[in-house]
Amino acid sequence: MNDSARRILTLAKHEYRAAVRSRILSVLLGILVSVTAVSVFIASVDYRSQVADYRAYVASAQAGGVQRIAPSPLRPLSLLRGATEYLEIIGAVIAITLGYLTIARERTNRTLTLLRSRPVTAGELAGGSLLGAVGIISTLVVVTGTAGVLLAGLVGNDWINAAQAVRLGLAAVSAVIYMMVFYCVGAVATARSKVAASGLMIALGIWLLVVLIIPQLGDTLDADNQIPGGLFKALGLNREGETQILSHFHTYETTRVGIEEASFAKHYERFSFAMTDVLDKYREYSLSQLLHEKWHDIAWLVVYPLLALAALWQSFRHQPTIPTGDLQ
Amino acid sequence: MITTIASHQILALRRQRVFIALLGILLAMTALAGVLGWSSHRTIVGVYGEATRLLAAQGQPAPANPFTLKPTLALLSNMVIYIPLIGALLALVLGHLSIADDEAGGVGRLVFSRRVSRNTYLAGKVTGAAAVLAVILASSLVVSATSVWIVNRTVPTIAELGRLGLFYGLSWLYLLAFALIGMIAVLATRSKPIALLSAMGAWLVITFVIPQFTSGLRPTASLNPIIDPVSTSQTFFKVTSKARPFSVVEQYKTVSGRILETAPSEPMAQTIARTLPLALLAIVLIAIAAVLLSHHDFSRGAGDE
Repeated sequence: MNDSARRILTLAKHEYRAAVRSRILSVLLGILVSVTAVSVFIASVDYRSQVADYRAYVASAQAGGVQRIAPSPLRPLSLLRGATEYLEIIGAVIAITLGYLTIARERTNRTLTLLRSRPVTAGELAGGSLLGAVGIISTLVVVTGTAGVLLAGLVGNDWINAAQAVRLGLAAVSAVIYMMVFYCVGAVATARSKVAASGLMIALGIWLLVVLIIPQLGDTLDADNQIPGGLFKALGLNREGETQILSHFHTYETTRVGIEEASFAKHYERFSFAMTDVLDKYREYSLSQLLHEKWHDIAWLVVYPLLALAALWQSFRHQPTIPTGDLQ
Repeated sequence: MITTIASHQILALRRQRVFIALLGILLAMTALAGVLGWSSHRTIVGVYGEATRLLAAQGQPAPANPFTLKPTLALLSNMVIYIPLIGALLALVLGHLSIADDEAGGVGRLVFSRRVSRNTYLAGKVTGAAAVLAVILASSLVVSATSVWIVNRTVPTIAELGRLGLFYGLSWLYLLAFALIGMIAVLATRSKPIALLSAMGAWLVITFVIPQFTSGLRPTASLNPIIDPVSTSQTFFKVTSKARPFSVVEQYKTVSGRILETAPSEPMAQTIARTLPLALLAIVLIAIAAVLLSHHDFSRGAGDE
């Protein structure tokens, strides 16, 4: 291992340890893991009875000598929808907090300027902090995912198979990338603010816009969402009729889709929902078909992190080597 | 003295441009709700027109117009989402700054070197925050009434204005509770950022977590003004739904729906009863703030973690 890699690893270990010691982070993590567990539990209780019904049907069909038994429409991964949604909302806040703490802690302890005065490059500093944060975020996602799978299996009485485990793994990777971007948002906003608390507020403002407001606008403008149960269903129209009518609303739909596209959170949500069988239409797709269908969301999941990493590196590069500004 | 403390707080918020920022965001949010309502109106009318033509071409009868029953104030239904989502967060920041700035700037120490009781100080702070919220929401009411006028092409009736007034009155009470949470978080913690994040944690739990436990509402479903009914026949919900009256965000949305006539009507007494937990919450929060304030050391500066 060369010196640079060793320095990055040391910084990453420091970041990981410091984050684990943070009380506020522990509280937010506690909230995330417990609400996710309860959300999966609630879904699993209902699911269990559906699994029992399907197994009873299979048993009676086999006893009756039926040759063609309908495959199960049930998918245990879909029980993790709550986990995806909570990672999208609370996970992003946790990541911002991590990013904020990375800068605020070093500023308060006056170690950031010390670090910048040492032979550590901005890239190593950014890389070390990010690696530590990725370690924390990965731990959090793995714990949440494992708790979800165990609950789905134990309570829902249906375990995921190897193919589903691979897709869950990809969803977990997307969750880590998603949170990593918000980590960068928290760190960059804090590093660029003279007062750390102001940086935190700016980062939370961005979170509000990207995670809650923009996706809400897209959903609210969706023609089908105007009436409970769906506008097209209320008008007695099938999918074909819906497509035919929406062709008359090209500009409207383009604007609406454009608004949704602007939200990084929406891309994460779409990819994760496709990977975890939340949406019926993707349930019969193979992994390669899914990846092909979701290439657009995957592209955004690559572009946004690259931009965020560049911004993080720039922020560390511009950190002063002598103390300036307010510590708060 | 209460008036002096409240006036000082309002002045400080004006000087820091927090007041103008809050007002700007709330008004933009109200205007956005109006634009979305207008867009929704146009979409439904347009889709209905196209559906009628399509079905007629297929020799089928025209469907029932799903829009005829939509009330005139329904175009503001997005406000029912924005108040708990954005308004509550802004109220948290307002409450947070009310106390945190006094702590950091030394005003708290100065005030308590005089003959000012802790309860008087709290009353002044709550009055100041309540007044700021009242001015902001009154401005939002004007924007909402104008939106209704423009979109519906008729001047809002006295009854409609009354309903808007009631809705904003309810929203004021809701936001006041969150301003109090912001104050309590500062009084209960040692650092400003931790106070802000703790208050946000409380907001996340109230806005997203509790509704899922009591009504099975998924977090992202809570963002849409039109929610598909969720099955809550499980034993779990039979137990947790008993706590639904205390899920203030759900009660706020339900009462707002009744006021704006976007939800099915119910006896007036039942609607009033739904607001009681919110009023109770505000009272409990004031009591908690009073207890915390009585032990609070203003000589301690607020710092980072």
